[in-house]
This record gives sequence, structure tokens and C-alpha cells, in this order.
Amino acid sequence: MKLLILVWTATLTAQVTGEHLLKPDPANWLHYNGQYHSQRHSALNQVHTGNVSRLAAKWIFHVPNARQLQNVPIIANGIMYVSQPNEVYALDARTGRQIWAWFRQPALQKGPNRGVAVYGNRVFVTTPDAHLVALDARTGSELWASKIAEASDGYWSPAAPLIVKGKVIAGIAPGDHGLNGWLGAYDANTGERLWRWHSIPRPGEPGNETWAGDSWKTGGGATWLTGSYDPELNLLYWGIGNPAPDFDGDKRKGDNLYTESIVALDADTGKLKWYFQNTPHDVHDWDSVEIPVLVDAELRGRKRKLLAQANRNGFYYVLDRETGEFLHGTPFVRLLNWASGLTKEGRPIRVPGVVPTLQGTKTCPATSGATNWMSPAYNPDTGYFYVVAQEGCGINTKSADTFRPGGFPFMGTGYIESPEEPWQMYVRALDYTTGKLQWEYKQINSRRYGAGLLSTAGGLLFAGDDQGTLTALDARTGRPLWHFNTGQQIKGQPVTYRVAGRQYVAIAAGSNVVAFGLFE
Amino acid sequence: MRFLLILCAAAGMFAAPDPKLAAAGRIVYNRACTMCHGLDGAVGDRAPALGAQRRYLRRSSQELFNAIKLGIPGTLMPPTPLSDLEVNQIAAFIQSLRATAADVEVPGNTARGEAIFHGKGQCTECHTIRGRGGIIGPDLSDVGGYLRLEELRAALTTPKESIPRGFRPVRLTTASGEVIDGVVKNENNFSLQILTRDGGLKMMLREEAREITYPEQSLMPAGYDKKLTSEEFQDLLAFLSRQSRRPRP
Repeated sequence: MKLLILVWTATLTAQVTGEHLLKPDPANWLHYNGQYHSQRHSALNQVHTGNVSRLAAKWIFHVPNARQLQNVPIIANGIMYVSQPNEVYALDARTGRQIWAWFRQPALQKGPNRGVAVYGNRVFVTTPDAHLVALDARTGSELWASKIAEASDGYWSPAAPLIVKGKVIAGIAPGDHGLNGWLGAYDANTGERLWRWHSIPRPGEPGNETWAGDSWKTGGGATWLTGSYDPELNLLYWGIGNPAPDFDGDKRKGDNLYTESIVALDADTGKLKWYFQNTPHDVHDWDSVEIPVLVDAELRGRKRKLLAQANRNGFYYVLDRETGEFLHGTPFVRLLNWASGLTKEGRPIRVPGVVPTLQGTKTCPATSGATNWMSPAYNPDTGYFYVVAQEGCGINTKSADTFRPGGFPFMGTGYIESPEEPWQMYVRALDYTTGKLQWEYKQINSRRYGAGLLSTAGGLLFAGDDQGTLTALDARTGRPLWHFNTGQQIKGQPVTYRVAGRQYVAIAAGSNVVAFGLFE
Repeated sequence: MRFLLILCAAAGMFAAPDPKLAAAGRIVYNRACTMCHGLDGAVGDRAPALGAQRRYLRRSSQELFNAIKLGIPGTLMPPTPLSDLEVNQIAAFIQSLRATAADVEVPGNTARGEAIFHGKGQCTECHTIRGRGGIIGPDLSDVGGYLRLEELRAALTTPKESIPRGFRPVRLTTASGEVIDGVVKNENNFSLQILTRDGGLKMMLREEAREITYPEQSLMPAGYDKKLTSEEFQDLLAFLSRQSRRPRP
């Protein structure tokens, strides 16, 4: 009898199937963005607007070597997986007690690591030395490590992988060093590469003509955040990073495809289905990697499959995700001086002169962006798209730069904060079809680079900030209902899960993971 | 990926240049480099400014020396036929452009400047130097070590564009009508930590306040170049420029 129970337990542990990934039990948090549609909305409602004031810290897990976690914990069947560069921890999600830890040695130090993916009895993580590693989810044993790029060239991989139909989808960084990006699919059993889509088209491929001369060779286009997936269309949606050199467009005249674009790729083959370029010929280092959120809703008289993205360039976009057709775009920040609007095709109408110069040019939003890695959320009950917005401007400068192989910055210079417009962060609720502001919550004393958002069926929106406070807002009004000082800067994204009938909310804050539940 | 680079850029510092070397370097620079760069290190027609507050890739004396001597491949920056001494002089000049007030020679009588700081200037009502003075404003014991001379001068003469963190004026009225006047040391959506004008600390929850207002004006008065004689102002500037925790070369 004892043996039987042991066997049964072992097969149950972290057994995640393709079906589970497709339709996750709300008790779990299986993807970086929660589900394939990346709405970051949980059906859990045990914690709600009426009782959230009783939310209390249940446990804290300290990651000894961590300075600033930017990790999204993944929770499968009561086990939480937390990562930072070269390290993965498995925890009892109810108590925060460690089950195992994995360390990669020799460890190349580059960060952050944004999270793991789970499938079968395996945990997948990418590393600072550009490997994709598979671990046994029960023991942390390393099963295989597959080199996905040359670390000596300067490549590394910070984003959480996404599992689709037995494939591990992984991206690469950095674009700022003039290294060309791609998205790759790897066999979850062996680590073998199945396909690779190049974000900078090579000679003979459509789009290469959007790069002057040989500039495509050092074009950038990193894939440093995790995208979304539509199982019905079998399409992956991914945001592509900036062109290089970031601030000097003179050497790379043209639109510079597919940098600063949202792309739709066939999940089986990696073939490009469509693209939409948010910022053609970007010279402000606005990566378009922000999470594409998939929503099915009626727009312009018919039911559509939509894709919504709040872009770092300051515009909120709504696209038809079957075709890539631009449906709507509107600014979600007040400080925006580089474009006077969008054409009916969604192309920005540039304001002449707002380009980096030797002397410096005031540019709004700043290069840190109108938003950044902070995950947005969508609540189907309110119909609101929630975004962490950064108001502020930069002084952007340009000077000649040279590409050097081996992973050196290839920026064409940079930016500083504009003294006239000190940066300020907000949580904003937008009507998801029109982008119209419904409410905003000013995060007092928070300037830039904070935490992402989590929406729940309890009518709550959880938001963190760079000062360490995790706050629960009323999803309908933005009114704060509960808060907790975690004591460390929060740059991660909150998650929620359920173990033994109790709902938890967890977030990586500084060097800790903190889990909350109702006080009993 | 931006924030990583910003942290890296903030990390490197340089040693203070020899003023004589820098003065000689200015002459050589203005003769040899201004085809592309601007006069005195300003932005030029074909090359960037070398001082001011931008982020620089080349910071150390050796990096600057190499860039001037060997040029920067792939850019318009050519190698130079100047002697090693002249290149060292130009490197020292460029470093002096980036130097803080403590790194440069500021004329004036520092003893008289100190007397003005504690007396006629009334600076000690708000500021402390090495434990002497008020606490509502920033401690100036290291002001020459982090402000450039022009910034130090501007701080004394022109109203502040933005108020530094921790020194924003605030007026809070409690539910019982008590008025708390001071500067915000820290705050968020739920609480404020206020240093009051009389030097006390008040820990307040926002819900305990009936009204909170933030006067726009910094508490730092401007126009010291007019309130003081030009000699007094220069003495004060000289005294402040020497306030540095870094040992002088």
C-alpha cells in the first residue's frame, strides 16, 4: 500500500500536459503570462474586494544570491518554481519551504532571468551563457543543456520560455549590442532545434530591403520578453526589440524590419504570417517587446480575434490578430512629442526634429518608455486593459559608434532624464477597444521601472512598485483596498494560485518571494 | 535592457586631473581638435561635446589617451600626430571638463567664505558641513565632490528647476487641525515621512491628514550673487568647492 502511494505521488508531481497548458486550472500559474492569451486574469475569487483587507503575508522565501529578482513564479500542482540567472528553486507553494535548488556552473553573470516554463515532469530555463536547460521538475537534476547561441558573441537569454505543442519557444538578447535576434523552437525531449525565425531578414528575404547597405548585419531585434499564442490559429505573437545602433539611424536608413514590430509566426514552422511595425526606423530604443494581449470581442460590428498592446512608444494598439490589420491606436500617456498621431494604417505621423542629436533632443516618452517589461492585464468583467504607464521625457543624444564583435554596446550614445519633466508612474485602466482612460492610480514617488499587474475575478488588480509596496486596487475604480511593504524594490509580476482550497498571491520583491493569503 | 547599461555607466569614475596639465591641454585642444569638436569641449559641427553631463564610454585617462592617440575605428575620430605629452594634456583637459568643483582651482578666500557660510549667508540655517548647521537642506560636507563648479554656482544664483528627492517642501494639516510644515523625506500612496522646519520627524499616514499641499518653490533661496558682494560670493564659492570627502591630489 505504501509503495502504491509513493508511485501515485511521483506521477502526480508537476505533471503538466499540453492540455493543461491549453486550459490551465486556475489553481496553477503555468505560463509567464498566466495563459496563452496573456491576459494575466485569474478566475480565482476567494480573495475579493470585500475581504482583501484581511490579506496577510504567509511566507517569505529568500534567494540568497539575488539582488533584484524580475522573475514570475510558475506554480504547478502546489509547487512553485522561482528563477534568477543560473539558478532555479522549487518550493512548496503553501509553505515556501525549498524542495530543491539548481545552480549552473561555471556561471556567467548576466541578468535578469524572467522565469521558467514547465511541461511534463520538466522545468525549462534559459541562461546567461545562451543555453536552454531542462531540469527534472521533481529533483532539479539537469537532463540536458542545449546551446541556443554563442555566448562569446555576446548573446544571452533572459526571457521565460513558452511551451507550445511539445516545443520550447525561446528568444534571445541583446539587440543593443548589434547582435541580430531570432525566435527559436526546441524539442522539449531533446533540446534539438526545430525551427528558427530571424527577426532581421537576410539578403533575398522580404524585408531585407528596409536596411541600407550592410546595416542588417548588426540590426538588433532582440526577443527579450515572452509572447502569446492562439491555439485556434496556431500562431505565436511576439514583440521584437530595437534596431542597432539604437540612437543613430543614419547608417541604417529604411524601416528596419522586423525591429519594433509585433510578429505572428506559425507555431509549427516559424514562418511569418503577418507583422505590424509600431515604430518604423526607431531611433529612441523603444523595444516593441511589450506583452501582446489576446482578446476575443466585438469591434466595428463583428466578433473579432483581437490583439492589444500598450507600446513603449506611448501608443495603445488594437490589431486584428488573424490578419494583422490595424484597428485602433491612441496614446496612453500625456507626454508624447515624437508623433502627432497614427495614420489609418497605424503608422506614426512623425514630428520633424524629434530625433537624437549631438546636443540632445527632448523626447517623450523617454527611452525607458511609456511602459516597459511591466506586464499589463485584461479583465473580461470590466472590459479594461490595465497598463503600468511611465510619464516622462528624456534628452536623447547621438554620436558615431562602431560595431565591435564580442558583445559590446552598439548604441550610438544614449539618454538622460529631462530635468523639466521628472518621471512618474501610474497604473491606468483603458477601455480595451478605444484605449480611453477609465481611471488612473498615481504611484506616488515611483518614477520608472516597477512591477507588473495581476487581475483577478475577485474584482481586484494587484500592482507593485519600485518602492516595494504591493497594492490591491479595486479593478473598477482604481481605489486602493490593501497594501503591504515588502521592504525591497519590486520589478517582478504578481501571480495567484490555490493550494488546499486556499488562494495565494505571490510576487518576487528584491531578493525575496513573498506569498500572501487571507488571515485566519 | 536599458537599465543595466545605465548602472554600468554610473559605476566608473576618473581621477582628478592636474590643473596645470589641463590648462595646457585646453590650448592644445582648441588648436588641434576644433575642426570637428566645439571650442572648449562643446559640441561641434561633426563631433560630440566632451564635457557636460552625457554618458561617456571613455572615462579613464588611459581610455582617453588611446582614443586621442589612436583614433576610434569606424568613426570620424582620426589618430593624431600629436606628441604623447600633448595627448596627455588634452586627456587632462577633457577630464577637467567632467570634473566636479573639488577637482578645479576656484579662486577666493576660503576662510572668509566659511565665515559667510556661517554668518551673512545664513546657509547654516538649513545646511550642515561636518556636523555644524541645520538639517532641513542637504548636508554640504561633500558638495564639491558631486557638483560641478557650474552646478554649484547655479545652485547659489538661480531658482531650482526641480527639487531633489528628500527635500520637497510639504504642508500637512491633520484631522485635528495641526499644521506640519517641512520637507518630505519619503512618501508613497499610504504614508509620508516629514522632517519639520524645527528639525523634528513626523511619521504620518495619508488617512490622518485633512489636507496635504506641496509648495512648488524649493526652500533654497537664489540670487546669492546679488545678496553678497562679488568678492564675498567668490569666497563662498571657493569654500563650498573645497567641501569634498575625496582627498585632494
